[in-house]
Amino acid sequence: MNDTASRTLPWYFAPMLVLVCGCIVAIINFGIRSTFGLFTLPISEANQWPREIFSLGIAIQNLVWGIATPIAGMLADRFGAARVIMVGAVLYGLGMAGINLANTPFLFYVTAGLLVGTGVALSSFGIVMAALGRIVPPEKRSWAFGLATASGSLGQFIFAPLAGALIPAYGWPATLNILAASSVLLILFAMPLLVQKGVSNKAAIGETSLTMTQAIGKAFGHNSYLLLVSGFFVCGFQLAFVTVHLPPYLADHGISKEFAGLAMGLIGLFNMIGAYTAGVMGGKMEKRVPLAIIYLLRSIVVTIFILTPITQVTTLIFTATLGVLWLSTVPFTMSLITVMFGTRYMATLYGFVFLSHQVGSFLGVWLGGKLYDMYGTYDPVWWLGVGLGVFAFLVHLPIREKRAESFAAA
Amino acid sequence: MIRRPHRFAFAVFGGVLALWLVVMLFVMRDAALPASAEGTMLVVFEPGTSEETAFAAITQAGAKPIRKTDFGFIWVVNGNAGALQQAGALGTYKELPISPVIAGCLAVVDAKAADAFGL
Repeated sequence: MNDTASRTLPWYFAPMLVLVCGCIVAIINFGIRSTFGLFTLPISEANQWPREIFSLGIAIQNLVWGIATPIAGMLADRFGAARVIMVGAVLYGLGMAGINLANTPFLFYVTAGLLVGTGVALSSFGIVMAALGRIVPPEKRSWAFGLATASGSLGQFIFAPLAGALIPAYGWPATLNILAASSVLLILFAMPLLVQKGVSNKAAIGETSLTMTQAIGKAFGHNSYLLLVSGFFVCGFQLAFVTVHLPPYLADHGISKEFAGLAMGLIGLFNMIGAYTAGVMGGKMEKRVPLAIIYLLRSIVVTIFILTPITQVTTLIFTATLGVLWLSTVPFTMSLITVMFGTRYMATLYGFVFLSHQVGSFLGVWLGGKLYDMYGTYDPVWWLGVGLGVFAFLVHLPIREKRAESFAAA
Repeated sequence: MIRRPHRFAFAVFGGVLALWLVVMLFVMRDAALPASAEGTMLVVFEPGTSEETAFAAITQAGAKPIRKTDFGFIWVVNGNAGALQQAGALGTYKELPISPVIAGCLAVVDAKAADAFGL
């Protein structure tokens, strides 16, 4: 959208407002999702369920989120991001409020798992990034991706303590209703994104004329895309393992749960800085090299952490450093997709990359527990994560950072 | 378009954080336990309070220390909220399912703001 075009649009389509609203959508979407851990005990106790029912519900949510993301991307590329976010907001709100009525495990799986998982996918920052990527000029695109990703991180940082205070203040059922109302607010903040229409059947200037099916097929036949997909699998594995298993690992080494909570909070804080900085860097240099280096640095940081004595100081240094490297992969990955394939099908193609991320997440969490039970230590999974980080470093280096031939402009 | 992108990002994030702090202030006030509350609770003292001073205040209030956190001014105790506040605690809360550090910082903000506005 250039300045001349933007001057002819109504005020609610002003680029600045669109960007602000896009950020708020990312904040609310990611923020609400990060509060679920706080409901584990109250919901399980209220329904007299073992914790595995709650855990399975959240596992279903993550799986549905991963599977629904490419579909959400296709819908966003076809009908526009705003409409998809609005539908997602309704499902998200229904799911959150519906948890209050879920008095059987099946109903909990439907509300917290299926509805919330689909709602999260349809209103996620991936969809927001696709919208912003089409709105801002190419030279600002990576910055916008960084901004949206950092907004998601900010959401995690602010919603977890907010929900943590809401529960004792008003009770967990009312907190769920407040969060449900917040998710419905996404409809309001998605409205300015209506400025970005769906691509329909027409190719914009400079974009591919392939149909969506052809584009997906051609992308999966493009080696650099496959390398990106495999690299993002590693990202999911590492992040999910740390999120779920770092607190018990720290407890095993005598770190209190309060300090572990502070350390995990640092990840969120430094994640904002890392994601935003990655977005800025992505607009000024090649993306594949810094992306590869992020994975290598993760491996180095983890190696140092597990080989040195675990203390409060080393824990804080580790989580702060890992925070910088946390979601900083996202702006580079999304930017590489737009470099290789343009913006026409970016939400769809990012969706498939993200599905790989979620498969990695599932394995990171599951293998973390499984191998711990087998060996009585997290060390094998830490080393597996280090190895995967080196693998991701190597597979990102050969990525060809230019427009794929079959995606040449129409 | 956006001429100063970093300033724009700073303004967006700063604005959201400011709004969040205001909301948290009100929610934390509602989350605080009434003076009559008894049982297990999180007690927050002025930051910088030594462990010894906090422990003395807890015992002076007739409360039973359950465990201290990594921050000497935040303890988990079993006692009476009103007595703990009279003994110098800034605030008492149910044991929040989040890092008490966060609750502690906001409890400080909460108490100081309440004092400033005469709430």
